[in-house]
Amino acid sequence: MVARVLSSLVRGLEGRVVEVQVDISGGVIGFALVGLASGSVREAKERVRSAIRNSGLPFPSQRKLTVNLAPAELRKEGSGLDLAIGVAISLAALGLPSPSGIAFLGELALDGAVRHVDGILVAARWLVRHGIAALFVPEADAAEAALAGGLLVYPCPSLSSAIAHLTGDTRLEPYSGRAPVPTHVEARPEHDLAEVQGQDSARRALEVAASGGHNLLMTGPPGAGKTMLARCLPGLLPPLELQEALELAQIRSVLGDLAAGRPLEWVRAFRAPHPSVSLAGLIGGGSGLATPGEISRAHHGVLFLDELAEFRASTLQALRQPMEQGQIVLTRRSGSVVYPSRFQLIAATNPCPCGWDGDSERRCRCTPGAIEAYQRSLSGPLLDRIDLQVIVARTPMDVLGREALGESSSTVRARVVAARQLQIDRQGTLNAALRAPQLRRWAALDGTALSALRRWASQRGLSARGFHRAWRVARTLADLEGEGAVREHHVMEALGYRLVERAA
Amino acid sequence: MGARRPTPYGEAVAERLATDLAHAGVIVVSGLAVGVDAAAHEGALLGEGCTIAVLGTGVDIVYPATNTGLAARIVAGGGALVSQFPDGAGPKRDHFPRRNWTMAALADVVVVVEAAEGSGALITAEAALAQSKTVMAVPGSVFSPLSVGCHQLLRDGAGLVQNARDVLAELKGLTAVLDDPMAPPDRLAVDVAAPTGRDGLLRHLSDTYPVEPGDLARRLGLAFPDVIARLTRLELEGRARRMGSGYLRGRGRGMS
Repeated sequence: MVARVLSSLVRGLEGRVVEVQVDISGGVIGFALVGLASGSVREAKERVRSAIRNSGLPFPSQRKLTVNLAPAELRKEGSGLDLAIGVAISLAALGLPSPSGIAFLGELALDGAVRHVDGILVAARWLVRHGIAALFVPEADAAEAALAGGLLVYPCPSLSSAIAHLTGDTRLEPYSGRAPVPTHVEARPEHDLAEVQGQDSARRALEVAASGGHNLLMTGPPGAGKTMLARCLPGLLPPLELQEALELAQIRSVLGDLAAGRPLEWVRAFRAPHPSVSLAGLIGGGSGLATPGEISRAHHGVLFLDELAEFRASTLQALRQPMEQGQIVLTRRSGSVVYPSRFQLIAATNPCPCGWDGDSERRCRCTPGAIEAYQRSLSGPLLDRIDLQVIVARTPMDVLGREALGESSSTVRARVVAARQLQIDRQGTLNAALRAPQLRRWAALDGTALSALRRWASQRGLSARGFHRAWRVARTLADLEGEGAVREHHVMEALGYRLVERAA
Repeated sequence: MGARRPTPYGEAVAERLATDLAHAGVIVVSGLAVGVDAAAHEGALLGEGCTIAVLGTGVDIVYPATNTGLAARIVAGGGALVSQFPDGAGPKRDHFPRRNWTMAALADVVVVVEAAEGSGALITAEAALAQSKTVMAVPGSVFSPLSVGCHQLLRDGAGLVQNARDVLAELKGLTAVLDDPMAPPDRLAVDVAAPTGRDGLLRHLSDTYPVEPGDLARRLGLAFPDVIARLTRLELEGRARRMGSGYLRGRGRGMS
């Protein structure tokens, strides 16, 4: 008799249903595992054999045992199939019928305990879509699996408890945690805007960036507070929506990055990769199937690139496609995966190699040629996608500690949330995503606003992209005021948040 | 005012000062004599400004006659020839001290470019002081007799003139800053005729030190976004420009 037990593999943010088939027959004694199993899966033979014996279950050691992982053409990796293989062999050995509509996920320890595997949420969502009604998972992963919704999740401590449940001897209790509700978690106080002194331009730019989803570049000398300002951004953003939190949780699930028992985070991610980050580390990759990179970890959150000029040009170049499409397609020998990467970019850079160009106190030691080369390294396609650019000066020492505290993040966030709601209600997306046709439709400029923007464009030789950047920002400024129309003063303010054109 | 037979240096300074000041909207008053006077009028015309010639003759007579063409261009340029003497009055010796008194009276600031010891220009400077006018002087070479008068004035407390900015600072009641005397005139775009322009914000911008928009907002009790919008508008009009994180008065690029 052939036992059939279902499980799932994870490929990117998708699952693949795998049927574990076990046949016990006469013939040459042995244990064969077939079905394009990679090294990590072939090792399952040893784990499963020990786990079954140590669980007090019969192992058909005197017969020919064949385990097939179907579909056979799908390459199998990881240890998540262990539990399903163990259950299938045990059922076959006991002569029990195969369960239907039930799937099993988990790695087996040699003593039969069921251990955590990555990607439970992704697999669970996939299994629900394929009509699975009940899922056995490691105890630690039950809350994560339950996020998928629409199926019974059984926290399964061991192989023997799973078999006891199937034989009806001892029933497991399904997981009964409450459905998660988005809640706002206050940012750490050191990342509150109230702690930022002076820096009016940067504060305003952060508020505008948060409101319209715009990318932001901050230029300033070391110690001006660029990093601290950037870290304030997540606290200005509304908490993640349930759908957004689930998308992020899936990415983190694949990476094995979810906290047990509290798999959903509502605070938006803040990722700050070092300039030496590898291409694979930034956009995703690695051997075998590609794993998500920093840009996907920052999904629906903030990607902060400090010392932008220190990043390799090829690394920055690779950000273009994900920034445009909100996702990254990674192709490896063993297949393509797609990870979402809808992040907001905050970049920071020194004005010149030594960092002090334009500072009121320290002298810059760079040659004009060096400054020009430095700034040129920043230009190009990435800068084209940054709507807001501000210069951050060091706050003079005499101001520090004297100036009244600024507005707190929660005050600013209230305005940000209102402005974002206006955009979603009007056009279904944030202003940063508006392209020319949508701008004409949703951000019509009144006569004086249009002529002011045109005048500026012709005077400064503004490119079409630059024109649209200012237009998008002006739309957000109007939204912050609750104004339907984009007016001249919105355009004027928007033009104030750009880098000084260098003298030719 | 200055010497009728100046050094090439004095002539160049007079013309350049007048050009820059006229460009900045200052009305240049001089005496239509040869030398420094003529250079000042020419400079003002070069700066597309308005210049007034105060004559020691009736307005129907140009003295010296070599300046006839200049006199016509002064009038054509929107300037004026003025005289306290009746038509037909010729150049008489005693006219000129009286004319100099009038010149000083018309001016807010008297700038002496080159003057020898005991020269007419020094007498005019004294007339200006008697009228409580500000007297300023351009320094020259210590080897030049034509600089002695100016150096005397400077020693006695006259304002130092290195460039038009010094005069403008005096006109606006500001403290002048020693800076690059060779700075191009386009750094001087200060509208004295309309000191605040269309936006009162301009008054709070300096030619030399960038002002942070956040500080401006606090000082003037304005909202920060409003200040940014107004500064950008001034930038668009060429009245302000960005410098680092702050703003200066001056011509923005693309406004030439």
